[in-house]
Amino acid sequence: MSSLLAAASHVAALGRALDTTSEGGKKVFESPTKNDFNFPGIFGGQDGWFTKPVLIVVLMTVVCFAFYYASSRNAKIVPGRLQFAGESLYGFIRNDVAIDAIGHDGLRWAPYLATLFSFVALNNIAGIIPVLQIPATSHIAFPLVLAVFSWLIYMYLGISKHGAWGYFRDMMFPPGIPWAVYILLAPIEFFSTVIVRPLTLMLRLTFNMFAGHLVLVLFISAADYLLLDYSNTAVGAPVGVLSLLLSLVLTGFEAFVQLLQAYVFTLLTALYIGGALADEH
Amino acid sequence: MSSSAEGSSHDPVDDAERSVARRESNDAWAATSLLISGVLVWGGVGYLVSLWLGSPLFTMAGLLVGTATALYGIWFRYGRS
Repeated sequence: MSSLLAAASHVAALGRALDTTSEGGKKVFESPTKNDFNFPGIFGGQDGWFTKPVLIVVLMTVVCFAFYYASSRNAKIVPGRLQFAGESLYGFIRNDVAIDAIGHDGLRWAPYLATLFSFVALNNIAGIIPVLQIPATSHIAFPLVLAVFSWLIYMYLGISKHGAWGYFRDMMFPPGIPWAVYILLAPIEFFSTVIVRPLTLMLRLTFNMFAGHLVLVLFISAADYLLLDYSNTAVGAPVGVLSLLLSLVLTGFEAFVQLLQAYVFTLLTALYIGGALADEH
Repeated sequence: MSSSAEGSSHDPVDDAERSVARRESNDAWAATSLLISGVLVWGGVGYLVSLWLGSPLFTMAGLLVGTATALYGIWFRYGRS
């Protein structure tokens, strides 16, 4: 995440350098800002709540449902292409995420985790789908809700399995540490499990998507500016072409990051569930 | 994707390998989280004491204590075996 943020700030600085090199009378290059993430309401005017990211979430929910419904309806022993795709995806999450991270109890959580992965992946990948072109998950509200779900699930499971006292005792007081160290260590363990976990879950997803979108906007708008408004200079045309080529490469890179972050979010949720259910060793 | 798509495997060797892999990947994430928490919790306490007593030294002491405790916790939980 940090490398992406560093890259984003680096290219943003490049964008500001371009600002200052524009000559009088010419169109000035505008660096992308966080305003590129604000959309007017589709209904109810500028301040309407139903914005493009909300539309994407609704659309992707429908796509997610339709995909799993279509791939499991009329399931055959020799699967067709669609059924094979659905079963491969579900099987991957079930075996390599749910059972690997949680153990045999993981089977119960496979449906939730597969849904979570598909939903996050689709909302991430919206960032590079033409026309949609914004990852809905770059708006912190959506990762926030998903992180709260994960938090509620593992806290509930931990407390119902070990009892409230047992769960927090295992979390904060691992046996065998000198008692004086508990004073220093217990608050850290508590903070780590109860606050840092959901917080990092939310921030990791949001800002990977935020920074990735910012990088794409910068390279594409720089290519647009350099090629259309600045191409009659020695710098404009070649750098514009370079910027355009890089925007294509980075779009591919973004596809990778978007799928990876969906996987990481799902894997961590599974690991937290596994940790809550584990017997203290 | 070692196990078949039909039902989970009950091969004991496979299960043991999986449980080791599970513990290790869980440990890696937990260690990161613990380090961040150490810096935030005791660094934060140090910062508040600094505001109260007006010397920046408490923030530094808090950050050091937090980092050291988190490292000790990581060593104790995951580093001894």
